[in-house]
Amino acid sequence: MSNFEPHNGTSREDLVERVTLMETTIAEGRQATARFGWIFVLWGLVDLAGMALQWERPSSMWNWPVAIGVGMVLQFAGVALRRRAGSESVANTQSRAISAIWGMMGVTLILYCFTAIFTGKTYGPGYIAAIFMTIGLAHAASAIILRWPVQGAVAALWWAGGLACFFLSGIWFLAIFCVEMLFGMVFFGLYAMWLERKSLAAPVEQHA
Amino acid sequence: MPELPELDPVVHGKLRLAVLSLLIGVEEADFTWLRQKTGSTDGNLGAQMLKLEEAGYVAMEKRFAGRKPQTLYRMTPVGRKALAAYVSALKSLLGAAL
Repeated sequence: MSNFEPHNGTSREDLVERVTLMETTIAEGRQATARFGWIFVLWGLVDLAGMALQWERPSSMWNWPVAIGVGMVLQFAGVALRRRAGSESVANTQSRAISAIWGMMGVTLILYCFTAIFTGKTYGPGYIAAIFMTIGLAHAASAIILRWPVQGAVAALWWAGGLACFFLSGIWFLAIFCVEMLFGMVFFGLYAMWLERKSLAAPVEQHA
Repeated sequence: MPELPELDPVVHGKLRLAVLSLLIGVEEADFTWLRQKTGSTDGNLGAQMLKLEEAGYVAMEKRFAGRKPQTLYRMTPVGRKALAAYVSALKSLLGAAL
């Protein structure tokens, strides 16, 4: 540094501090997304409950519709409660892209699963494999948008599970389902919730 | 020697600069989110937001989320221009100091 005179009452250190502040806050704003971790935990548990029902009463066609219906009611209730509690809100292109991916994946899977269930065509490994691959696709797209390697690994786990469906059967198939739901939904959701809590506890900068 | 540019005093305030930098990356954000991200108090943030509004750099909208009132802010085109001009001035000043 040479010949730098204080300008507008600010020193070079002040100006550099402003640049750092801007860099940090711009990145924070762009990374802001809705809080979604709890939804993964919810749907992981709902799907595990659905599979438990299916295991108990394999002949009933109402196991999955009931489980999915309960999941939808709980999700709507959760969203309403968060709104009522006045959770902070922020909207950016990134959060809208992520919401679009997961929302449309939900619509796709509900149309696909309900039609297959009510027409009695849920047999064969292809049925579950398609569900796993679709969830993998949503995770992968989300991971690319968020530049989040952990979610990329979760996408790979779902795709691997989808492929494994074609090679496994019986108890192994059940094991794959439980691994996917636990690691790809419940534990991932808990990890996302932990990150969300951590980011809430750490403001960008303390201002006087 | 060329004259050094002036820094916009409305943008230059630390908290106001933080808020504008946050708002430039989002379409809109509510007061609670801005307060949480800046670690500011209600009173201080409210006063700084008013200054930004008066300068025409941000626009405020009040809405209801369920039964709770929500105060949303978005950056205006004037605010974007002001921030861009501030960054440009900052670059010139820091460039002159190197």
